[in-house]
Amino acid sequence: MTTTGQTRSTPVYPGRHADGGPVPGAGATDETTVIPVVQDLDDPGVPDDEWDEEFRPSRGGWVGRGLVWAFLAWLVLALPVNRFSPFEVGVADIDVLSLAAIYAIGGLSLNVLLGYAGQISLGHQAFVGIGAFTSAYIVTNLQLSFWLAVAVAAGFGAIQATLLGAISLRLSGLYFALVTLAYGTFAEETLFGIAALTGGEGGKPAPRPLGFESGYAYYYLCLGFLALVLWLDWRLTRSKGGRALAALRENPRVASSYGINVKAYILLAFALSGIFAGIAGSLMAHHDEVIVGSSFDFRLALLFILMTVVGGLRDRVGVVIGSAFFALLEEKLLIEMIERLCHFLLEPFGLAGWSIGEVLQGTVGLPLEFVGLIVGPLLLLLTITKYPGGIGQQVAPIRLWLTGHRFDRHAGAVTEVEVNDVRA
Amino acid sequence: MSQLLTELGIAVVAGILQGSVYALVALGIVLVHRASGVFNFAQAEFGTVGLFGAYTAVVLWGWSYPAGILFGLGAALALGLLTERLVIHPLRNASRVTVLVGTAGVALAAVGIQFWRFNETPIMTMPKIHEGFFRIPLIGASVTVQQLITLGVLAVASVALALFFRSPSGLAIQAAQQEPTASELVGISVRRVSMLTWAIAALLGGLAGILSGPYTTFTAGFLTFGAGRALLPGFMAAVLAGMRSMPGAVLGGFAVGIVEQLGTLTILLSVPGARAMMLFAFLLGVLLLRPQGIFVGRAATA
Amino acid sequence: MSVLEVDAVSIHFGGVKALREVSLRAGEWEIVGIIGPNGAGKTTLFNCVTGFYQPTHGQVRYRGRDISRMPVHQRTALGIGRTFQNVGLVKGTTVLENLMTAQHLQVDYDPWLGIAGSPASFAEERRVRERGDQILGLLDLDHVRHERVADLPYGVLKRVEIAAVLATDPDLLLLDEPGSGMGPEEAHELGDTLLTLRKEFGLTIVMIDHHVPLVTRVSDYVYCLNFGEVLAEGHPDVVRHHPEVVRAYMGEDAAPGPGDTAVIEPVVAAGNGGRG
Repeated sequence: MTTTGQTRSTPVYPGRHADGGPVPGAGATDETTVIPVVQDLDDPGVPDDEWDEEFRPSRGGWVGRGLVWAFLAWLVLALPVNRFSPFEVGVADIDVLSLAAIYAIGGLSLNVLLGYAGQISLGHQAFVGIGAFTSAYIVTNLQLSFWLAVAVAAGFGAIQATLLGAISLRLSGLYFALVTLAYGTFAEETLFGIAALTGGEGGKPAPRPLGFESGYAYYYLCLGFLALVLWLDWRLTRSKGGRALAALRENPRVASSYGINVKAYILLAFALSGIFAGIAGSLMAHHDEVIVGSSFDFRLALLFILMTVVGGLRDRVGVVIGSAFFALLEEKLLIEMIERLCHFLLEPFGLAGWSIGEVLQGTVGLPLEFVGLIVGPLLLLLTITKYPGGIGQQVAPIRLWLTGHRFDRHAGAVTEVEVNDVRA
Repeated sequence: MSQLLTELGIAVVAGILQGSVYALVALGIVLVHRASGVFNFAQAEFGTVGLFGAYTAVVLWGWSYPAGILFGLGAALALGLLTERLVIHPLRNASRVTVLVGTAGVALAAVGIQFWRFNETPIMTMPKIHEGFFRIPLIGASVTVQQLITLGVLAVASVALALFFRSPSGLAIQAAQQEPTASELVGISVRRVSMLTWAIAALLGGLAGILSGPYTTFTAGFLTFGAGRALLPGFMAAVLAGMRSMPGAVLGGFAVGIVEQLGTLTILLSVPGARAMMLFAFLLGVLLLRPQGIFVGRAATA
Repeated sequence: MSVLEVDAVSIHFGGVKALREVSLRAGEWEIVGIIGPNGAGKTTLFNCVTGFYQPTHGQVRYRGRDISRMPVHQRTALGIGRTFQNVGLVKGTTVLENLMTAQHLQVDYDPWLGIAGSPASFAEERRVRERGDQILGLLDLDHVRHERVADLPYGVLKRVEIAAVLATDPDLLLLDEPGSGMGPEEAHELGDTLLTLRKEFGLTIVMIDHHVPLVTRVSDYVYCLNFGEVLAEGHPDVVRHHPEVVRAYMGEDAAPGPGDTAVIEPVVAAGNGGRG
């Protein structure tokens, strides 16, 4: 270090304990680490039409894209109708598909915290659970409308998340993770155990809203809320708030020198996450029709982490796919649906007798109900060690092609960016 | 009033006994955190895996108890080394939140495998090393010999760790933790130190699981979110130790055990989940008021 | 009235006294240079002015108002903008994105309405984007607007950083080594840019730099810091030949330099070209 410009003048930060040890509460221990950042070509602030200004798909290209869009729309919207569908969706299955949409909302909720704001939450089951019990209480005990209940559940979700967020401002990331863990257990056992509010161990009934009693109608209701949440999430990343979060996650010092009130925007992220979680909770309550506190346990929190991380942090398409994937896997519907699809495709060739479930059970001795338990964590480990972009990164080329870009196999590739890992 | 005092006495005794399990978990957490700054969410699962190992050997295969314990410890050790190799080492440059998620992933994977392999008897019972129990006169607390054995093992483990950290290998670990680059230069392999740290942590976790398993029946994920939940209390004990002091981790374990047992007092009977509430309030209080820990001792000033 | 007044500021980190009774002032439309060897406390002084550190003793005043305890983002709102020694940009996003982020305080809608997607927010986003493009155009950075910051070379980033800080709409600009990594010619161009910017944006500029020719050419007044104290201050040429200043640089730089007073100049070109 003989050159003049290279060393920092005083590498002593007030946030650091004199002996250099970890001090919770002292947010800024300027530790530089390398975290992978998805090179999201669909970056917030860069509208699709501006990204690749020269490229316009040909007419044939548009037709091709239109066909794929139509196929996807049919896949999602026509599932319950079973029209031309190979999946033969029954009443029990449609409830699982609704659950997939609800989990997607929950996954997007955690993504706001973990992805955008860089704050870990191991107590997300509490966020969702508070929404669920609020909604059930309003509909069952107060005899008020479901629509009001969703709004209030979202509000309660926001309030409890903001309170927790206020605590996070005083702690560094890893210590805050412990608080969320304890908070989740506390909510599950204490808050959700208050019989007067939650019905105790017997649970609380939560009837479905008028006109949405059937599983099929409820599925569309969940899709509608998912669309709403996706819209809000999209607007967040394309507006002031999203840009502020992106800046403060990576470098709080730069963010504050841009005039961003770092603490206020962290609280904003908590509040928005709470709103999404409240909506998810409300939908979950009326989906199950009777809810009990013990269903909001630590494993649900871990499931949300699986969904967002494997789906791909900061990638809303990936998070939605990841959430649906885990919901279907948990409820054992995924493999069944794949089998039905195979059956549908292979039947004309007389190869219909084949079953993945039997193969798994026969060769590995892994019964269907345990596939999710084994596959989920392994996918998580694989994602964070090898493919940090998650599912979102894998589908990014298709997603970009669908929105009118050139097909590029390497789109969304993950590159390493040096980041001041300050919040952790 | 006297009833409250009696209950308090019982809570303190029960808290210390349960706290010795937390202390074993906390020792592993502190050890790993000092070595790599990682919050190891798989620490409690090392215990469950050890317990499942011992259960398999003793109950299913009919091995002798000591052999079963060794087998269980071996299983925990294997998981610890696998974690280091497959998760911690590849993520050495990742952000610490990512590593935390990685260790949680290890725990989840272990739980998943337990559910799958032991799904025929979901609720299992591990025999005790010694079936005896007695009552402490005056206080009236009931104590099992098994719990006393745990307390004894904790004492032995603490002394062994203290001695180990004065030996050349132990000093090498401390050097590598404080000055990784300089240690490489004087010939200490940081990689080997990391393996050694995780091995010791896994063994401590394994002991916690094998010794506390017989307290009650157990299921998959016993120490992480089952009946023998020790992950959060273990972390809290470690926080009380400032995430760095070994003796602090032991004292912290006792303290957390006692606080948790206060949740069982009759006056809190009407509060649902009083133990969880006590723990949450205690953690918040400690982190907001004394984030540097309470039982830190000389380690912090050194 | 002075734009910036640093009044006998001291800062202690534990036992280390990083700054001792440093006073400095910058008047309207002035360019003030700060030179000094490494570890002299120059960046610490900047951190005091922008609010990352709070002075142990003394006061920082902006247009006569005491801002010593004000949080960073509020100082930005007052019109204090700064660049960082090792490039203060959001590296995971594009250049244009950074300029839009930097306009945070000028974006005229509530963040919640932005999330809801109100029509006004769409219109405002268009305006913010155009303003970002405009500033990039001023600094000849059009060609990199959609490049990701992490993929750009250090020299370009130094200019992007100036563009970003201009987007915060500052009155007082604090530049921490804007010329690092630049050769003599680029540094000369940078000097021209700074003089133009001062005129066009009506800026007061305080800059730290090791390019002594650059500092002496553009500055109206120069401070030299050493060991947390003001060693010398005054007209650029006076400070440059001040015996104490020459000694400080000699003592700091072990390599023997050619000539006498010119010894502080070889330090200059060393820069840190390898960064970024």
